[in-house]
Amino acid sequence: MDLQLGEPQETELNMTPMIDIVFQLIIFFLLSLKFKTIDRRIESMMPKDRGPNPAPSILEEEDKIKVKLFRRGIADRERAFTLLKIDNAAQYPLPKGWKGRLKETPDRIERYDATVAAVKRAIEDRIAAYGGITDQIVGEIVAPPPRGGSVPHGDAVAVLNAFMEAGITNVKFEGTPTPLTSSERAARAAR
Amino acid sequence: MAAKVITDTEDAKMNMTPMIDMTFLLVVFFMLTIDLSQKEFFPVDLPFATTGVEDKEEDDEVRRFVINLTGDGTVHFKSYEFNLASEDPGEQDDAIQALQDALRQVHSERGEILLREKDGASKVPVMIHADWGAKWKYVQWIMQACAHPDIKIYKLQFAVKKPPTEKGS
Repeated sequence: MDLQLGEPQETELNMTPMIDIVFQLIIFFLLSLKFKTIDRRIESMMPKDRGPNPAPSILEEEDKIKVKLFRRGIADRERAFTLLKIDNAAQYPLPKGWKGRLKETPDRIERYDATVAAVKRAIEDRIAAYGGITDQIVGEIVAPPPRGGSVPHGDAVAVLNAFMEAGITNVKFEGTPTPLTSSERAARAAR
Repeated sequence: MAAKVITDTEDAKMNMTPMIDMTFLLVVFFMLTIDLSQKEFFPVDLPFATTGVEDKEEDDEVRRFVINLTGDGTVHFKSYEFNLASEDPGEQDDAIQALQDALRQVHSERGEILLREKDGASKVPVMIHADWGAKWKYVQWIMQACAHPDIKIYKLQFAVKKPPTEKGS
């Protein structure tokens, strides 16, 4: 019996499902695409021998420059401001009702920067008074309770930045107490 | 002159090859540019600082933890969410304890022994990615949670932005 071979047919690959998948992939990557938002960071190291549960160590006497941050006028958000004090002497009020650099007018931004620059100059004066060797000087950022804790993070970072611009990299933060003390926490747990 | 009528119609087919080529190129582009690590960052208004160092890729082994703090006092860490802004100090304390538990758990999942120095301090840095308007005490509570004796994370990074007035921005 002769083998009957039919006419050779053109076989075509069905591309539609593959294109569907590829388009779905594109949509997924498009939706998950997020451009890098952070470009910088400030590195810091917390002390192991300070804080609520310090590791034992010998505390040495150090030359200190202390910047205190107070929050004033908390009742009215439009009037609230941060007051910076250096070594309990000079006072530097930041603009009232500060809404953040992106939402502020150029003249108010200029005022904010001028105040922080004045703090930096005051820090530099203290450094000079200590002999000018920044390695041996410790900066301290203190936000005294109860209202110091309400200071915006951005203002504390501005002071930290002023210390670093002045050449002091050893900066400590005096901690705000936790909402409950350990005994209050234990009493609450026992209830 | 008589009009010529074409009666022999052929199947018109679109050549799909260039479109598929372009589509694959797009897929490759998006695959290469996608940065899934950015998913860790919550959208916040970062504070500005001139002294910040450029944020570069890190060693995978000691990949940092990112703790987000929004302006209203909510902490976002991995899939967890904690509210530090409660009126009740007891609830605030619970939120700090819960953050400590989450840090402890995530740290131990990453390999407790490998990520510790000889003195027990963690090698893992924590990035505090906080809104400029968040209360400073919340940032300090986060720091205290990190430095807890069971966790011992002392390396900190504050996420900041380059001031827009600076040259080159």
